[in-house]
Amino acid sequence: MSFELISPNTLRDALDLLDVDDPSIRPFSGGTALRLMMKSGVFSPSKLVVLRGIPDLSGIEISDDGSLTIGALSTLAEVETSALVARQVPVLAGALKHLSNRRVRNVARIGGAIAHGDPHMDLPPLLSALNAEVIVESRNGRRHIAVEDLVIGYYETLLEPDELIVALRIPAQDDWHSAYRKVTARSADDWPALGVATSISHEGKEIRDIRLVVGAATERPTRLDISEGVLRSEGVAGLPRAVEAAMESVEVMDDSHGSATWKKALLGVELRRSVEEILGRNA
Amino acid sequence: MTKKPIKFVLNGREVQAFVSPDDSVVDLLRELDHFGARESCGQGLCGCCTVLIDGVSVTGCLELALLLDGKRINTVEGLDADGQLSAVQQAFIDTGAFQCGFCTPGFILMIEQLLDENPDPTDDEARDYLSGNLCRCAAYPEILSAVRNAAMKRKTAQGADA
Repeated sequence: MSFELISPNTLRDALDLLDVDDPSIRPFSGGTALRLMMKSGVFSPSKLVVLRGIPDLSGIEISDDGSLTIGALSTLAEVETSALVARQVPVLAGALKHLSNRRVRNVARIGGAIAHGDPHMDLPPLLSALNAEVIVESRNGRRHIAVEDLVIGYYETLLEPDELIVALRIPAQDDWHSAYRKVTARSADDWPALGVATSISHEGKEIRDIRLVVGAATERPTRLDISEGVLRSEGVAGLPRAVEAAMESVEVMDDSHGSATWKKALLGVELRRSVEEILGRNA
Repeated sequence: MTKKPIKFVLNGREVQAFVSPDDSVVDLLRELDHFGARESCGQGLCGCCTVLIDGVSVTGCLELALLLDGKRINTVEGLDADGQLSAVQQAFIDTGAFQCGFCTPGFILMIEQLLDENPDPTDDEARDYLSGNLCRCAAYPEILSAVRNAAMKRKTAQGADA
Protein backbone atom coordinates (compact mmCIF):
# COMPACT_ATOMS: atom_id res chain seq x y z
CA MET A 1 0.00 0.00 0.00
CA SER A 2 1.56 3.24 -1.06
CA PHE A 3 0.07 6.61 -0.50
CA GLU A 4 1.16 10.16 0.06
CA LEU A 5 0.63 11.99 3.31
CA ILE A 6 0.22 15.76 3.02
CA SER A 7 -0.22 18.13 5.96
CA PRO A 8 -1.56 21.50 4.82
CA ASN A 9 -1.43 24.41 7.27
CA THR A 10 -4.56 26.23 6.16
CA LEU A 11 -8.13 25.25 5.38
CA ARG A 12 -7.76 26.80 1.93
CA ASP A 13 -4.74 24.60 1.14
CA ALA A 14 -6.56 21.53 2.43
CA LEU A 15 -9.59 22.24 0.24
CA ASP A 16 -7.31 22.80 -2.77
CA LEU A 17 -5.82 19.33 -2.28
CA LEU A 18 -9.21 17.59 -2.38
CA ASP A 19 -10.72 16.57 -5.70
CA VAL A 20 -14.42 16.12 -6.32
CA ASP A 21 -13.68 13.44 -8.94
CA ASP A 22 -11.14 11.46 -6.91
CA PRO A 23 -12.41 9.75 -3.76
CA SER A 24 -9.00 8.09 -3.28
CA ILE A 25 -7.80 11.47 -1.96
CA ARG A 26 -9.19 11.50 1.55
CA PRO A 27 -9.20 14.01 4.38
CA PHE A 28 -7.63 12.51 7.51
CA SER A 29 -8.15 13.88 10.99
CA GLY A 30 -7.98 11.38 13.88
CA GLY A 31 -7.81 8.42 11.53
CA THR A 32 -9.08 5.96 14.15
CA ALA A 33 -11.80 4.72 11.79
CA LEU A 34 -10.11 5.26 8.43
CA ARG A 35 -6.99 3.40 9.56
CA LEU A 36 -9.10 0.31 10.29
CA MET A 37 -10.38 0.41 6.71
CA MET A 38 -6.82 0.85 5.42
CA LYS A 39 -5.44 -1.98 7.56
CA SER A 40 -8.17 -4.37 6.46
CA GLY A 41 -7.66 -3.42 2.81
CA VAL A 42 -11.19 -2.02 2.39
CA PHE A 43 -9.76 1.38 1.51
CA SER A 44 -6.50 2.24 -0.28
CA PRO A 45 -5.94 5.97 -0.47
CA SER A 46 -3.72 7.65 -3.03
CA LYS A 47 -3.33 10.70 -0.80
CA LEU A 48 -4.27 11.47 2.77
CA VAL A 49 -4.78 15.15 3.49
CA VAL A 50 -3.95 15.47 7.19
CA LEU A 51 -6.11 18.17 8.74
CA ARG A 52 -4.55 18.22 12.22
CA GLY A 53 -2.25 21.17 11.54
CA ILE A 54 -5.05 23.51 10.50
CA PRO A 55 -5.67 26.16 13.15
CA ASP A 56 -9.15 27.59 13.83
CA LEU A 57 -10.96 24.30 13.27
CA SER A 58 -11.07 23.32 16.92
CA GLY A 59 -12.54 24.89 20.01
CA ILE A 60 -16.05 25.02 21.43
CA GLU A 61 -18.02 28.26 21.56
CA ILE A 62 -21.44 29.35 22.71
CA SER A 63 -23.44 32.00 20.84
CA ASP A 64 -25.85 34.55 22.30
CA ASP A 65 -28.78 32.34 21.26
CA GLY A 66 -27.38 29.49 23.35
CA SER A 67 -26.26 27.36 20.42
CA LEU A 68 -22.90 25.60 20.57
CA THR A 69 -20.42 25.63 17.72
CA ILE A 70 -17.86 22.84 17.94
CA GLY A 71 -14.86 23.03 15.61
CA ALA A 72 -14.59 19.90 13.46
CA LEU A 73 -11.05 19.13 14.67
CA SER A 74 -12.05 19.05 18.35
CA THR A 75 -11.20 15.63 19.71
CA LEU A 76 -14.01 13.55 21.19
CA ALA A 77 -12.19 13.83 24.55
CA GLU A 78 -12.27 17.64 24.30
CA VAL A 79 -16.02 17.56 23.67
CA GLU A 80 -16.54 15.00 26.45
CA THR A 81 -14.73 17.11 29.05
CA SER A 82 -15.95 20.55 27.92
CA ALA A 83 -17.77 22.47 30.67
CA LEU A 84 -19.91 24.17 27.99
CA VAL A 85 -21.01 20.83 26.57
CA ALA A 86 -21.74 19.48 30.07
CA ARG A 87 -23.96 22.50 30.75
CA GLN A 88 -25.72 22.87 27.38
CA VAL A 89 -26.01 19.26 26.16
CA PRO A 90 -25.20 16.89 29.05
CA VAL A 91 -26.57 13.97 27.03
CA LEU A 92 -23.67 14.37 24.57
CA ALA A 93 -21.00 14.37 27.29
CA GLY A 94 -22.66 11.28 28.79
CA ALA A 95 -22.79 9.41 25.46
CA LEU A 96 -19.12 10.16 24.75
CA LYS A 97 -18.04 8.47 28.00
CA HIS A 98 -19.12 5.16 26.50
CA LEU A 99 -18.04 5.81 22.94
CA SER A 100 -14.98 3.62 22.45
CA ASN A 101 -12.16 4.19 24.95
CA ARG A 102 -10.13 7.11 26.24
CA ARG A 103 -7.23 6.62 23.80
CA VAL A 104 -9.49 6.62 20.77
CA ARG A 105 -11.38 9.66 22.11
CA ASN A 106 -8.03 11.44 22.56
CA VAL A 107 -7.40 11.13 18.83
CA ALA A 108 -10.74 10.84 17.00
CA ARG A 109 -12.14 14.21 15.82
CA ILE A 110 -15.82 15.12 15.95
CA GLY A 111 -15.93 16.15 12.28
CA GLY A 112 -14.45 12.86 11.13
CA ALA A 113 -16.77 10.87 13.36
CA ILE A 114 -19.78 12.53 11.73
CA ALA A 115 -18.42 12.31 8.18
CA HIS A 116 -17.53 8.62 8.39
CA GLY A 117 -21.06 7.36 7.70
CA ASP A 118 -20.66 4.01 9.46
CA PRO A 119 -24.15 3.01 10.59
CA HIS A 120 -22.73 1.66 13.88
CA MET A 121 -22.02 4.96 15.53
CA ASP A 122 -23.43 6.74 18.55
CA LEU A 123 -23.13 10.36 17.45
CA PRO A 124 -25.22 10.52 14.24
CA PRO A 125 -28.51 9.40 15.84
CA LEU A 126 -27.87 11.47 18.97
CA LEU A 127 -26.93 14.62 17.05
CA SER A 128 -29.98 14.11 14.81
CA ALA A 129 -32.25 13.99 17.86
CA LEU A 130 -30.58 17.18 19.10
CA ASN A 131 -31.43 18.82 15.77
CA ALA A 132 -27.74 19.57 15.11
CA GLU A 133 -26.28 20.60 11.78
CA VAL A 134 -22.83 20.54 10.23
CA ILE A 135 -21.19 23.42 8.44
CA VAL A 136 -19.49 22.13 5.32
CA GLU A 137 -16.94 23.92 3.17
CA SER A 138 -15.41 23.39 -0.26
CA ARG A 139 -13.60 25.68 -2.69
CA ASN A 140 -17.05 26.65 -3.98
CA GLY A 141 -18.33 27.90 -0.66
CA ARG A 142 -20.17 26.87 2.45
CA ARG A 143 -23.37 25.00 3.13
CA HIS A 144 -25.26 23.79 6.18
CA ILE A 145 -26.56 20.22 6.35
CA ALA A 146 -28.76 18.84 9.12
CA VAL A 147 -27.01 15.83 10.68
CA GLU A 148 -30.31 14.00 10.20
CA ASP A 149 -29.97 14.39 6.41
CA LEU A 150 -26.22 13.84 6.20
CA VAL A 151 -26.06 10.05 6.15
CA ILE A 152 -28.02 8.75 3.18
CA GLY A 153 -27.02 5.09 3.22
CA TYR A 154 -24.51 2.49 4.33
CA TYR A 155 -21.23 4.47 4.61
CA GLU A 156 -22.81 7.00 2.27
CA THR A 157 -23.17 10.70 3.07
CA LEU A 158 -24.20 13.86 1.25
CA LEU A 159 -20.59 15.09 1.46
CA GLU A 160 -18.77 15.45 -1.84
CA PRO A 161 -15.15 14.22 -1.97
CA ASP A 162 -13.97 17.85 -2.07
CA GLU A 163 -16.00 18.96 0.95
CA LEU A 164 -14.96 19.15 4.59
CA ILE A 165 -17.04 19.46 7.71
CA VAL A 166 -15.61 22.56 9.41
CA ALA A 167 -17.94 22.76 12.39
CA LEU A 168 -20.86 21.18 14.19
CA ARG A 169 -23.67 23.41 15.44
CA ILE A 170 -26.01 22.25 18.20
CA PRO A 171 -28.96 24.58 18.75
CA ALA A 172 -29.98 25.71 22.25
CA GLN A 173 -32.05 22.90 23.70
CA ASP A 174 -34.37 25.22 25.72
CA ASP A 175 -37.20 23.03 27.00
CA TRP A 176 -36.02 19.94 25.11
CA HIS A 177 -34.66 17.07 27.19
CA SER A 178 -32.77 14.14 25.74
CA ALA A 179 -31.61 10.64 26.38
CA TYR A 180 -29.34 8.30 24.46
CA ARG A 181 -29.74 4.61 25.16
CA LYS A 182 -27.01 2.37 23.81
CA VAL A 183 -27.07 -1.40 23.70
CA THR A 184 -23.84 -3.30 23.16
CA ALA A 185 -23.24 -7.00 22.65
CA ARG A 186 -19.84 -7.04 24.34
CA SER A 187 -18.30 -4.33 26.55
CA ALA A 188 -20.19 -1.14 27.49
CA ASP A 189 -17.92 0.97 25.27
CA ASP A 190 -18.24 -1.27 22.20
CA TRP A 191 -19.73 -0.14 18.91
CA PRO A 192 -23.49 -0.02 19.49
CA ALA A 193 -25.70 -2.94 18.48
CA LEU A 194 -28.53 -0.46 18.87
CA GLY A 195 -28.74 3.22 19.74
CA VAL A 196 -31.95 5.05 20.51
CA ALA A 197 -31.75 8.84 20.77
CA THR A 198 -34.77 10.69 22.10
CA SER A 199 -35.45 14.40 22.56
CA ILE A 200 -38.69 15.59 24.07
CA SER A 201 -40.07 19.07 24.53
CA HIS A 202 -42.48 18.69 27.40
CA GLU A 203 -44.13 20.24 30.43
CA GLY A 204 -44.47 17.67 33.18
CA LYS A 205 -45.83 14.56 31.51
CA GLU A 206 -47.34 16.52 28.64
CA ILE A 207 -45.40 15.97 25.42
CA ARG A 208 -45.30 19.05 23.18
CA ASP A 209 -42.92 17.75 20.57
CA ILE A 210 -40.59 14.80 20.16
CA ARG A 211 -37.70 13.59 18.03
CA LEU A 212 -36.89 9.87 17.97
CA VAL A 213 -33.91 8.47 16.07
CA VAL A 214 -32.65 4.90 15.91
CA GLY A 215 -29.09 4.04 14.92
CA ALA A 216 -26.86 0.97 14.54
CA ALA A 217 -29.76 -1.42 13.87
CA THR A 218 -30.63 0.21 10.56
CA GLU A 219 -28.78 0.99 7.34
CA ARG A 220 -28.60 4.64 8.37
CA PRO A 221 -29.82 6.64 11.39
CA THR A 222 -33.59 6.67 11.00
CA ARG A 223 -36.28 9.00 12.36
CA LEU A 224 -39.21 7.13 13.88
CA ASP A 225 -41.83 9.38 12.26
CA ILE A 226 -44.88 7.25 12.96
CA SER A 227 -44.01 6.79 16.63
CA GLU A 228 -43.36 10.53 16.96
CA GLY A 229 -46.79 11.26 15.47
CA VAL A 230 -48.50 8.90 17.90
CA LEU A 231 -46.78 10.48 20.92
CA ARG A 232 -47.48 14.01 19.69
CA SER A 233 -51.19 13.33 19.32
CA GLU A 234 -51.82 10.86 22.15
CA GLY A 235 -49.15 11.88 24.66
CA VAL A 236 -47.52 9.37 26.95
CA ALA A 237 -50.68 7.25 26.93
CA GLY A 238 -49.78 6.39 23.34
CA LEU A 239 -46.40 4.93 24.32
CA PRO A 240 -47.38 1.26 23.80
CA ARG A 241 -48.73 2.14 20.34
CA ALA A 242 -45.62 4.20 19.53
CA VAL A 243 -43.38 1.29 20.54
CA GLU A 244 -45.38 -1.09 18.39
CA ALA A 245 -45.24 1.30 15.43
CA ALA A 246 -41.46 1.62 15.73
CA MET A 247 -40.98 -2.15 15.74
CA GLU A 248 -43.28 -2.56 12.74
CA SER A 249 -42.08 0.33 10.60
CA VAL A 250 -38.30 0.18 10.88
CA GLU A 251 -36.22 -2.09 8.68
CA VAL A 252 -33.79 -3.64 11.18
CA MET A 253 -30.71 -5.46 9.92
CA ASP A 254 -28.70 -8.43 11.18
CA ASP A 255 -25.02 -7.86 11.79
CA SER A 256 -22.14 -9.22 13.87
CA HIS A 257 -23.57 -7.42 16.92
CA GLY A 258 -26.84 -9.31 16.86
CA SER A 259 -29.83 -10.59 14.90
CA ALA A 260 -32.55 -8.36 13.53
CA THR A 261 -35.13 -10.10 15.73
CA TRP A 262 -33.12 -9.35 18.86
CA LYS A 263 -32.47 -5.76 17.86
CA LYS A 264 -36.12 -5.19 17.01
CA ALA A 265 -37.20 -6.44 20.43
CA LEU A 266 -34.60 -4.18 22.05
CA LEU A 267 -35.74 -1.21 19.98
CA GLY A 268 -39.17 -1.52 21.57
CA VAL A 269 -37.74 -1.85 25.08
CA GLU A 270 -35.24 0.99 24.76
CA LEU A 271 -37.71 3.35 23.10
CA ARG A 272 -40.15 2.88 25.98
CA ARG A 273 -37.37 3.29 28.55
CA SER A 274 -35.99 6.42 26.92
CA VAL A 275 -39.36 8.20 26.92
CA GLU A 276 -40.01 7.10 30.52
CA GLU A 277 -36.49 8.15 31.53
CA ILE A 278 -36.88 11.69 30.19
CA LEU A 279 -40.40 12.28 31.50
CA GLY A 280 -39.52 10.72 34.85
CA ARG A 281 -36.25 12.61 35.18
CA ASN A 282 -37.78 16.03 34.59
CA ALA A 283 -41.12 15.43 36.31
CA MET B 1 7.81 3.00 -1.24
CA THR B 2 9.34 6.38 -0.49
CA LYS B 3 10.59 6.74 3.00
CA LYS B 4 10.63 10.18 4.55
CA PRO B 5 12.87 11.50 7.31
CA ILE B 6 11.27 12.54 10.59
CA LYS B 7 12.66 13.90 13.86
CA PHE B 8 11.06 13.40 17.23
CA VAL B 9 11.88 13.03 20.91
CA LEU B 10 11.65 9.45 22.20
CA ASN B 11 11.68 9.19 25.99
CA GLY B 12 13.59 12.46 26.20
CA ARG B 13 16.15 11.61 23.50
CA GLU B 14 16.13 13.21 20.06
CA VAL B 15 15.74 10.61 17.32
CA GLN B 16 15.81 10.70 13.52
CA ALA B 17 14.23 7.97 11.44
CA PHE B 18 13.13 7.19 7.91
CA VAL B 19 9.55 5.98 7.72
CA SER B 20 7.10 4.78 5.09
CA PRO B 21 3.66 6.40 4.86
CA ASP B 22 1.90 3.26 6.12
CA ASP B 23 4.27 2.58 9.04
CA SER B 24 2.45 2.74 12.35
CA VAL B 25 4.06 4.14 15.48
CA VAL B 26 4.45 0.55 16.75
CA ASP B 27 6.23 -0.48 13.50
CA LEU B 28 8.67 2.38 13.97
CA LEU B 29 9.27 1.69 17.66
CA ARG B 30 10.15 -1.93 16.89
CA GLU B 31 12.72 -0.76 14.36
CA LEU B 32 14.18 1.38 17.14
CA ASP B 33 14.36 -1.69 19.44
CA HIS B 34 11.50 -0.52 21.63
CA PHE B 35 9.27 -3.54 22.20
CA GLY B 36 7.08 -2.33 25.09
CA ALA B 37 4.24 -1.19 22.82
CA ARG B 38 2.84 -4.28 21.11
CA GLU B 39 0.22 -4.62 18.41
CA SER B 40 -2.43 -7.09 19.49
CA CYS B 41 -6.01 -6.41 18.34
CA GLY B 42 -4.88 -3.89 15.72
CA GLN B 43 -8.11 -1.92 16.13
CA GLY B 44 -7.69 0.34 19.15
CA LEU B 45 -9.66 -1.90 21.49
CA CYS B 46 -7.02 -3.69 23.57
CA GLY B 47 -4.54 -0.99 24.57
CA CYS B 48 -1.41 -3.17 24.29
CA CYS B 49 0.13 -0.59 21.93
CA THR B 50 -0.50 2.44 24.17
CA VAL B 51 2.07 5.23 23.87
CA LEU B 52 1.98 8.86 24.98
CA ILE B 53 2.32 11.47 22.25
CA ASP B 54 2.83 15.03 23.51
CA GLY B 55 1.63 13.74 26.88
CA VAL B 56 -1.62 12.18 25.64
CA SER B 57 -2.36 8.45 25.42
CA VAL B 58 -2.70 7.23 21.86
CA THR B 59 -3.27 3.90 20.10
CA GLY B 60 0.20 3.22 18.65
CA CYS B 61 -0.92 0.64 16.08
CA LEU B 62 -3.36 3.09 14.45
CA GLU B 63 -1.30 6.27 14.61
CA LEU B 64 0.85 6.89 11.52
CA ALA B 65 4.57 7.13 12.27
CA LEU B 66 5.03 10.06 9.86
CA LEU B 67 2.79 12.13 12.11
CA LEU B 68 5.36 11.83 14.93
CA ASP B 69 7.52 14.44 13.20
CA GLY B 70 8.26 17.18 15.73
CA LYS B 71 6.46 15.41 18.57
CA ARG B 72 7.42 14.02 21.95
CA ILE B 73 6.71 10.33 22.43
CA ASN B 74 6.94 8.41 25.69
CA THR B 75 6.86 4.65 26.03
CA VAL B 76 7.07 2.28 28.99
CA GLU B 77 10.84 2.03 28.42
CA GLY B 78 11.24 5.62 29.62
CA LEU B 79 9.50 5.22 32.96
CA ASP B 80 12.57 3.97 34.88
CA ALA B 81 14.98 6.33 33.12
CA ASP B 82 16.38 7.48 36.46
CA GLY B 83 17.16 3.88 37.40
CA GLN B 84 14.08 3.57 39.57
CA LEU B 85 10.75 2.00 38.67
CA SER B 86 7.82 4.41 38.63
CA ALA B 87 5.23 4.12 41.40
CA VAL B 88 2.85 2.39 38.99
CA GLN B 89 5.50 -0.11 37.82
CA GLN B 90 6.42 -0.93 41.43
CA ALA B 91 2.73 -1.26 42.33
CA PHE B 92 2.27 -3.86 39.56
CA ILE B 93 5.06 -5.95 41.10
CA ASP B 94 3.85 -5.46 44.67
CA THR B 95 0.27 -6.50 43.87
CA GLY B 96 1.11 -9.18 41.27
CA ALA B 97 -0.98 -7.37 38.68
CA PHE B 98 0.09 -9.48 35.70
CA GLN B 99 0.56 -13.04 34.59
CA CYS B 100 1.89 -13.21 31.03
CA GLY B 101 2.70 -9.48 31.01
CA PHE B 102 1.74 -8.82 27.40
CA CYS B 103 -0.79 -6.10 28.25
CA THR B 104 1.20 -4.65 31.16
CA PRO B 105 3.04 -1.76 29.41
CA GLY B 106 -0.27 -0.46 28.04
CA PHE B 107 -2.00 -0.69 31.41
CA ILE B 108 0.92 1.00 33.13
CA LEU B 109 0.96 3.96 30.73
CA MET B 110 -2.83 4.38 30.99
CA ILE B 111 -2.65 4.27 34.80
CA GLU B 112 0.15 6.87 34.79
CA GLN B 113 -2.26 9.11 32.82
CA LEU B 114 -5.21 8.29 35.03
CA LEU B 115 -3.29 9.22 38.19
CA ASP B 116 -1.93 12.42 36.61
CA GLU B 117 -5.52 13.49 35.91
CA ASN B 118 -7.15 12.02 38.99
CA PRO B 119 -4.69 11.24 41.83
CA ASP B 120 -7.26 9.35 43.91
CA PRO B 121 -9.64 7.53 41.57
CA THR B 122 -12.46 5.30 42.80
CA ASP B 123 -12.49 1.72 41.49
CA ASP B 124 -15.36 2.67 39.17
CA GLU B 125 -13.44 5.64 37.78
CA ALA B 126 -10.41 3.40 37.23
CA ARG B 127 -12.52 0.71 35.52
CA ASP B 128 -14.03 3.34 33.29
CA TYR B 129 -10.67 4.86 32.39
CA LEU B 130 -9.12 1.46 31.68
CA SER B 131 -12.07 0.08 29.70
CA GLY B 132 -9.97 0.17 26.53
CA ASN B 133 -7.25 -2.09 27.96
CA LEU B 134 -7.75 -5.82 27.82
CA CYS B 135 -5.95 -8.45 29.93
CA ARG B 136 -6.55 -11.94 28.60
CA CYS B 137 -5.15 -13.44 31.83
CA ALA B 138 -7.98 -11.52 33.54
CA ALA B 139 -5.77 -9.99 36.22
CA TYR B 140 -8.31 -7.19 36.54
CA PRO B 141 -8.80 -7.39 40.34
CA GLU B 142 -5.02 -7.20 40.86
CA ILE B 143 -4.76 -4.36 38.33
CA LEU B 144 -7.33 -2.40 40.33
CA SER B 145 -5.28 -3.05 43.49
CA ALA B 146 -2.24 -1.80 41.61
CA VAL B 147 -4.09 1.44 40.85
CA ARG B 148 -4.93 1.92 44.54
CA ASN B 149 -1.41 0.94 45.57
CA ALA B 150 0.21 3.29 43.04
CA ALA B 151 -2.07 6.17 44.10
CA MET B 152 -0.91 5.63 47.68
CA LYS B 153 2.77 5.39 46.66
CA ARG B 154 2.50 8.64 44.70
CA LYS B 155 0.86 10.41 47.65
CA THR B 156 3.55 9.19 50.05
CA ALA B 157 6.29 10.28 47.65
CA GLN B 158 4.68 13.72 47.36
CA GLY B 159 4.46 13.95 51.15
CA ALA B 160 8.16 13.08 51.40
CA ASP B 161 9.05 15.78 48.83
CA ALA B 162 7.05 18.46 50.61
